[in-house]
Amino acid sequence: MANGYAGKILKVNLTTKEISAIDSARYEEFGGGVGMGAAIFWELAVAPGDWDLQDAFDPRNVISLMSGPLAATGVPGAGRTSVCAIAPETFPTPLFHRTSFGGRFATMLKLAGWDGVVVHGKADSPVWINIVNDKVTIEDAKPLWGLNTFETQGEITSTVAGRTRFDLQWHQIEDDYTTARPQIVCIGPIGEAMTRVAALIHGSGVSARTGGFGGVFGSKNLKAISVIGTGDIEVADPAGVVDTRLWHQRNFARGATSPGASCCMPCLNADRKRNSYYGGESMCADEYWYIGPQTGAPMMGGSSGHQMRGADVAIKWGICTWATKFGGAITLPAPNAPPPFKGQLPMEPGMGWYIKYLYELGVLGPGRKIDSYPLPMDQWDTLNFREVFCDALTRKIGIGADLAEGVLEAAKKWGRLEEDMNSGALRLPAWGASWHHSLPGVDWAYSYIFMSGDPMWHGFFGLGGGGGFGGPATYTAEQLVETMAKKVVPFDGEPLIFSNAWKGEDAWKTGIYSSYKAKMLAWARRFAGFYNESMSICEMLLPNFMAGGSAGPSPELEYRYYKAVTGSRNTLADTIEIGRKIWNMERAIRVMAGRHRDQEKFAPFMHMPGATFPMGGSKAVYQNGEWSFEDQNDLYLDREGVEQFKTHFYRLEGWDVATGWPTRSTLEELGMKKVADLMDAKGKLGG
Amino acid sequence: MAESRNTESNKKTVLRRDFLRGSGAVLAAGTLSVGVSQIPAAASPQAAETKSYPKSTGYIVYDSRLCLGCQSCMFACSMTHEGVANPSLSRIQIIRDAPSFTHYPYDVVMSVCRQCVSPLCVQNCPTGACHVDEENGNVRRIEPSKCIGCRRCIQSCPHKPHRTIWNSAKNKSTKCDLCADAPYWNEKGGPEGKQACVETCPAKALKLVREAPPQMDISGYDVNLAPPPRKMGFPGMGMPKTESKPAAKKEGA
Repeated sequence: MANGYAGKILKVNLTTKEISAIDSARYEEFGGGVGMGAAIFWELAVAPGDWDLQDAFDPRNVISLMSGPLAATGVPGAGRTSVCAIAPETFPTPLFHRTSFGGRFATMLKLAGWDGVVVHGKADSPVWINIVNDKVTIEDAKPLWGLNTFETQGEITSTVAGRTRFDLQWHQIEDDYTTARPQIVCIGPIGEAMTRVAALIHGSGVSARTGGFGGVFGSKNLKAISVIGTGDIEVADPAGVVDTRLWHQRNFARGATSPGASCCMPCLNADRKRNSYYGGESMCADEYWYIGPQTGAPMMGGSSGHQMRGADVAIKWGICTWATKFGGAITLPAPNAPPPFKGQLPMEPGMGWYIKYLYELGVLGPGRKIDSYPLPMDQWDTLNFREVFCDALTRKIGIGADLAEGVLEAAKKWGRLEEDMNSGALRLPAWGASWHHSLPGVDWAYSYIFMSGDPMWHGFFGLGGGGGFGGPATYTAEQLVETMAKKVVPFDGEPLIFSNAWKGEDAWKTGIYSSYKAKMLAWARRFAGFYNESMSICEMLLPNFMAGGSAGPSPELEYRYYKAVTGSRNTLADTIEIGRKIWNMERAIRVMAGRHRDQEKFAPFMHMPGATFPMGGSKAVYQNGEWSFEDQNDLYLDREGVEQFKTHFYRLEGWDVATGWPTRSTLEELGMKKVADLMDAKGKLGG
Repeated sequence: MAESRNTESNKKTVLRRDFLRGSGAVLAAGTLSVGVSQIPAAASPQAAETKSYPKSTGYIVYDSRLCLGCQSCMFACSMTHEGVANPSLSRIQIIRDAPSFTHYPYDVVMSVCRQCVSPLCVQNCPTGACHVDEENGNVRRIEPSKCIGCRRCIQSCPHKPHRTIWNSAKNKSTKCDLCADAPYWNEKGGPEGKQACVETCPAKALKLVREAPPQMDISGYDVNLAPPPRKMGFPGMGMPKTESKPAAKKEGA
């Protein structure tokens, strides 16, 4: 079948030790990646109807690690692994969440003959899953339990394929040979302990850092999944794939730095430094994990020795560096900040920074109201503190027991939740997820509330210049919106959807609270849902909407790749419609888990001055009948405006405006009658 | 390697990463094995020292420090030659060490066919399938219709890992032909044309050269392809000092 799919999905029930294969064709209508993962989650976790979807550590939780059809075909950046499950990290309750990680796991999974691996149940003792082409075994992980992520991968690598030592040899697997190493995703001690801030770690620094899925592995007694494969992936048009790749590269590649490293296999960006400690695999969140707000933070790739050692701790323990940040990627001046801030705020604060804040306030520390034992708060700046921090969370001793439940649960227990969310000390826009470019890009912010936190989608981020850390825009606002308006089928021809006006009547009529902005968000979710999250193309590589001063290659480029690999007759508009279907499947799961319009709200600080940090970003605005770029460093959201936006958005999506639940007609239009029937039976269908 | 690999002393160094086993050496563990009785008689390996072949007019050299480890070349190779994506069938192998956590510059090994001046794969082929293609710039290549799958070419390749590739589905050997026969590509290949791996490499860490590199070790092939540093500073102030690349790891280190 020459369409990029491996053809089958591995399903492992750790309770019964049953290993089986699902025909991928059953789920191809959802593309791959998150789309397939969500559809499988519905079938295995929601449809049986015996689980309320509330406890991420319930054995009935189904965690999927999925590739897309473009993986292992040579399409750059398409080697990401999508992860879906009920996530333990979200607040106030676990939510259906999706994240992804780069590296070589998905590619190797495809070469082994699998489009994804789905795990449910719970092993009665620690295990790891060993995939060698078609041969899948559940192995004893008791000797691995307690090892860090490097040690774990080292042990498994030396065990796979008959304790072969991988060096510069070809290694025989049945009749085939490979020079590749097994690709492994695993958890560290923090995941084993079922904390809510545990990551999945792959290689020397790649990880799934949001959602806390390391804890889900831990709850299933699953230490790791290893895969090595030697098979073919057939595509519809091999020459077309290569031609498209070369066209992409010759015209739009960012260009290599020396010596750079790619994260995914393959890629054409050298966005990491190969001569860094982790061979280019660790990312900003890891490297900044050790940087406090009082310390200058060199940008990614120029990491200091301190950063390297900090990342070393975080990755080996397997902690979510996103949720537990000690500072932010950028330390920003904040003259009006409360005294403990010392005139500065991190852009993306997390758990590590928050405990320092409380220490400075005098409420947390040895013998204080919030006892900091065993954390040596006077050594907060040191690497030793990070080690003790991870150990305390893992063993759940002293304050570690509180923090293991997540920073908002800890704040709630300490009676500080409301005060600190109102003050902005807990700058988590929604669902307990870290701040991450949430404003002034309102499509990014709105995605937080309609999903389960950070969308991790930079697609519209840099448009306008400055907001993407670039220089001034090389085009006018009018040129930008007219170019973009041609790209967003089926909402093409409406430049107003790109207006970011947030003041006065324009904000309500054509700006960020309007029905126009609802279309922009809807398109973003549909495009990202299909191409980035289900075709699994790295969102740091594509889309590329504006290249220099003219139109970039997206979305036509992604569509060319899709056509060359799959041979599908779908039009570009059809693929965006599949994105809508995926979006509705995600929505249906969230609604079945309790999602309601009333819950889709921002944290209070998003409605106050200071919600946007001064990043030098500018956005296109249509005001007083004219287009211009506007510096929006002072943007914050109006509560009523957000409510109006929600009404517009629900209506556009065909969801009930009172509840936010999909209606039968919407679901049936998308071919999801069975989903509608089940939601109807549970009283969750929109009217 | 880059800063020292062009020195005379290092040209004589046999590096661990690209160890020349030499003619007739015993196969290392993990290499392809085949029953000796099934192998047709072939020319003596020792004859390589006396038999000469016309040199290839093209050689791919590389810069292992510049490589991103992205393996784009491997996918391009298998896709253009075999019509499928399969790194195991790629005639160029990029071995990236993660998750073994070896540090730069030893985290990536580039394994590229050298189009040897004295090609043992050609010399040891019992059927003439592995031959010097005079119509395509003397590139060393394997004619599939003549290959009987004896794997002599694989056994005799002196490099580690061997550069001749086993295709189990076809039960035949393959090797780099500089894209002289790349049926799934719309570009003209061969020594006079383009090579999919070179074209696809985003780091420009692969390059086709005309002169045969020194054959003794890898120093002639693993060369410095880094672009010259961009000129900075005020006009007339000269080039700023650039950070030198780390020294090569010594054999056995």
